[in-house]
Amino acid sequence: MSLSIDNQRSGGRFWGGLSLRRKQVVWAWAFLAVPILFYALIRFYPTVEAFYLSTTNWNLFSKPGFVGLANFERLWADVVFWQVFRNTVLYLAIGTPVSLALAFTIAYHLDRVRFLHGFIRALYFLPFLTTAAAMAWVWRWFYQPVPIGMINDLLSSFGLPQQPFLRSTSQALPSVLAPAIWAGLGFQVVIFLAGLRAIPNTYYEAARIDGVSNLTILRRITIPLLKPTIIFLVVFSSIGFLRIFDQVYNMTSGDPGGPLNATKPLVLMIYQTAFSSFEMGYAAAQTVVLFLVLLAVSFLQLRLLRDR
Amino acid sequence: MAGIELQGLVKRYGATQVVHGIDLTVADGEFVVFVGPSGCGKSTTLRMIAGLEDIDGGEISIGGKVVNRLEPKDRNIAMVFQNYAIYPHMSVAENIGFGLHTAKLDKAEKRKRVEQVAGILGLEPLLERRPSALSGGQRQRVAIGRAMVRDPTVFLFDEPLSNLDAQLRAQMRLEIKRLHQRLGTTIVFVTHDQVEAMTLADRIVVMRDGRILQVGAPMELYEKPADVFTARFIGSPTMNVLPGRVVTEAGIATLALGEKPVALPTTVGTVPADVLVGVRPQQLRVLAGDEPADLVLTGSVAVIEPLGSETFVHVEFGGGLILASAPAKSPPAVGAAVRLGAPVAALTLFDAASERAL
Ligand SMILES: Nc1ncnc2c1ncn2[C@@H]1O[C@H](COP(=O)(O)OP(=O)(O)OP(=O)(O)O)[C@@H](O)[C@H]1O
Ligand SMILES: [Mg+2]
Repeated sequence: MSLSIDNQRSGGRFWGGLSLRRKQVVWAWAFLAVPILFYALIRFYPTVEAFYLSTTNWNLFSKPGFVGLANFERLWADVVFWQVFRNTVLYLAIGTPVSLALAFTIAYHLDRVRFLHGFIRALYFLPFLTTAAAMAWVWRWFYQPVPIGMINDLLSSFGLPQQPFLRSTSQALPSVLAPAIWAGLGFQVVIFLAGLRAIPNTYYEAARIDGVSNLTILRRITIPLLKPTIIFLVVFSSIGFLRIFDQVYNMTSGDPGGPLNATKPLVLMIYQTAFSSFEMGYAAAQTVVLFLVLLAVSFLQLRLLRDR
Repeated sequence: MAGIELQGLVKRYGATQVVHGIDLTVADGEFVVFVGPSGCGKSTTLRMIAGLEDIDGGEISIGGKVVNRLEPKDRNIAMVFQNYAIYPHMSVAENIGFGLHTAKLDKAEKRKRVEQVAGILGLEPLLERRPSALSGGQRQRVAIGRAMVRDPTVFLFDEPLSNLDAQLRAQMRLEIKRLHQRLGTTIVFVTHDQVEAMTLADRIVVMRDGRILQVGAPMELYEKPADVFTARFIGSPTMNVLPGRVVTEAGIATLALGEKPVALPTTVGTVPADVLVGVRPQQLRVLAGDEPADLVLTGSVAVIEPLGSETFVHVEFGGGLILASAPAKSPPAVGAAVRLGAPVAALTLFDAASERAL
């Protein structure tokens, strides 16, 4: 308000001379200016800085020296990087479809439940609100050997062999992924539910009169109409799984990254390079790679899923 | 082809009963319109016929077969919804063809059916378009096409025209009527627009508060309304209803209303003392000078509404306004004192207590 009063006093003629549309535009920019400035300062500047740092050998203690693409060459030749890259891709490739399929199945059925609907939805949403660290500790405890670990207890009571879970190079990654999927599920369920609610009931009634099967209704009506929701969740959860960190860090905290780096994702590698080895230039090169991967994946998904 | 029979149809939502035992027989090939004010249970009744709502009492048969427990798809009906319910992600052809999804026809035959229906409705050039690229009337036609393609025995329409503007509504009304003449399929049509009901129906069902008030052909309802509600609901503009007193002396009943008592025909039978007198604006004319009439009312003109072919005049009478008609060319002036007259045959008498026609 004060802005408009000032404007009218000092630049009264200028403000009064603007058309209504222009005035709206000026107001819109006035409101946008603060977040844009904030973003430029907090987001874009460090991003640009990271690009610059990725071409230096900065290690916190010395002045950064320009080394060209040496960091990227080193990364290309680094076996650990490729292991980490593979892990990250696995988190994405398993996490996104599994979590979306689960969330959709739950939402689809929950949508038909009236009894305790809100309560069940809250139960699914709760993990989303819980800190990753606390949850990770509970899950670690699940995965312990007998007699502590619940899952192994269950297995042995059925006479099945014990599983090493987090201690195994092959089982560690899925074991870390499970709580990560579980944690994000509530959010996805709620979004799916909102999407399902937005589909007019008469679409289903018309289909019932036409006598098509539930499966056809699902395939030909529900899923196509949910497409905007699905696109959003695919992109959103892909970004989440590509940037997975706290689950891994907390689940394997004695040995971050699991046995033989079996669970280590890119973000954890960046964290370790930067804050254990203090190789800031090298870490910056890794963030640049992560950034490019995120960009490429999101772009690709949007292109593939958009209306043809 | 099939008729519909409703017997003691009841619907409750929780504790509130919204349909109170409806009995109705719809003949094969008949066009029946349900009409009534908002919330009177028209849609609910239609949806029970369709099988979209469970029935809490009574019986529905279609084509002589009780369908109370049949799924909608097994009732061989088709329904057109108010919001059309056509799928935005499918083309017009796919939308129309969706009703054939379960039919045991091969692709070419299905396509042929779709094209045939599109031909009838004039949708051929639009078959590959998405609904978002159609006008309101075209969408409405797609919705009808979807219903037609399965060749149902009964069409159910739930206010299919209420999303259209007045001109388009009149046009679609005509198209639906012609379609019915061409296909001869039984149609149950719900609307709250009495003009739609009058123009479309073979028979009109007037509903109020979950009950049927009257069933009859349009002109029958117009000329012999069973009660005040139907009388005022059917016909445009609304019928004037005035309180009056009837005096019966030596077997001759006279109505004390207006300038002079009106002698009622002897056919009326026993008449209560307090009545409501209904007279349609078209039959209550502004009299020229001291022209005689059976019923004569006097008052001063409040508002004049010229419609071109005739002019309606709102006249202050008995503390309210009554509507009368005047010649289009020479209407009275606002504020002028006028005499209004109607023949005794144009009067409909209602019992003031029960509001039923006498
Ligand atoms: N799901 C429901 N739960 C409770 N009451 C309902 C439900 N659906 C409808 N009703 C009630 O039933 C009555 C009849 O509703 P209905 O939809 O049949 O009215 P209508 O005659 O079609 O009115 P309109 O002309 O406004 O469409 C209304 O009083 C409405 O409030
Ligand atoms: Mg309705």
